[in-house]
Amino acid sequence: MKKIYKTLKFSALTLFTLIAAQSATFAQEEATADTTVQEKPIDKPVRPAFENALLFDAATTTFYPSKSLEFVLQHRFGVIDTKDNNYDMAGIWGSANIRFGLNYSILNSLMVGVGTTKFNKMTDFQLKYRVIEQTRSNSIPVTVALYEVIGIDGSPDAKWDGTPDSVTTKGYKFGNRMSYFTQLIVSRRFNDKLSLQVGGAFTHYSCVDSVYSHDRVSVSFAGRYKFSPQMSLIVSGDFPLDIKAIKDYKIVKSNTIIYDKPSLNAGLEIATSSHAFHVYVASAQGIIPQECIMWNKNDFFHGGILIGLNITRLWNF
Amino acid sequence: MKNSIKLIVIICTAIVFVTANMAMAQKAGGPWTIPATYKNMKSTVKAGDASINTIGKENFNKHCKSCHGAKGLGDGPKAANLKTSTGNFSLAAFQARTDGELYYMSFIGRDEMPNFEKKILDVADRWAVIGYIRTMKK
Repeated sequence: MKKIYKTLKFSALTLFTLIAAQSATFAQEEATADTTVQEKPIDKPVRPAFENALLFDAATTTFYPSKSLEFVLQHRFGVIDTKDNNYDMAGIWGSANIRFGLNYSILNSLMVGVGTTKFNKMTDFQLKYRVIEQTRSNSIPVTVALYEVIGIDGSPDAKWDGTPDSVTTKGYKFGNRMSYFTQLIVSRRFNDKLSLQVGGAFTHYSCVDSVYSHDRVSVSFAGRYKFSPQMSLIVSGDFPLDIKAIKDYKIVKSNTIIYDKPSLNAGLEIATSSHAFHVYVASAQGIIPQECIMWNKNDFFHGGILIGLNITRLWNF
Repeated sequence: MKNSIKLIVIICTAIVFVTANMAMAQKAGGPWTIPATYKNMKSTVKAGDASINTIGKENFNKHCKSCHGAKGLGDGPKAANLKTSTGNFSLAAFQARTDGELYYMSFIGRDEMPNFEKKILDVADRWAVIGYIRTMKK
């Protein structure tokens, strides 16, 4: 099983190299062709790489025009119980997680959002900014965006009693509730059907239990294959990296749950003029990215899967 | 006597149902007032262009089909809930309109026909949709 994860992680890491390499090749071909063309056509940005700004629990490099408001409903059922005899109707009767969110496009390249999630009574504030946009002439081969999610855990204060951070800060502090997810996203629309995206992220929790780290670096990938005008096959994965330099602890206790499983998702996207629907299977039950990367213990290839649904509604003003 | 009352009630109920249905029937939209700047616009996508059956068709299916139907006959699943008839794109009278008129009607809109300029951002993509609507002529 570790081999599969290693292969996937390796794929995510090399994907960026491939995108960059292919882009460079295209750029060179374009430059050669340009020498024979007298009039250069007006360059335009490519059409969005993804139908929606949201892909499962991740952000894409897709932005909506300014003054657009999006309502997001994300739902993840319980983990499908494959081992015990507690029949839970494929997780549908299990404990579910749900998030309501609102996103607003201030500019064509700047989106802000706010949302609230059931697990940990988490409230999140989001910001996404497009740095550069892929062009049709391939003069800019990729779209690059920055994505930030700030989470505030709304659990009772007692959750942090006795944690090392509460001891060092002499008791509970509001800051203990905070978590941060910062990501650089790079995407490329290869053609009308295929788009790929890679990302590198840094996650930080202000307060964690004694055997866990505050920080985690991860790599991500996402892809879309559009097979009909409104339907696409979509996949994504977040892979936490095991970097010893940023680990807070040296020895892992044998009875400790290890939250280092990749968060993998695969499903279908149906996009209409104002809606997007995602129906998928996922491993992580968290919904905002830092929860999926920091606290996923479900093994996608070992029965740790659940059914998820997303519904988005977009208004343009 | 009782039977007569029953008969009267049934007839009155039937009249109410028929009248109510007539009141809710869809009406054809009135004539469009299209500014000259739009009227005289020419499509940048020529008939037979590859983008018509790719981008044009894709955008039509995504944004228009639910009301106008797959073949533009006005029989999409949402059409019945509208107060105004969505029209029939296959008719000669509709197809006789200029490119600019179709552009204005399709993307600027009025009343129940929403504005689609923020849904389809690229002007060439909008013309591809018009090109695709042109293929619906019978």
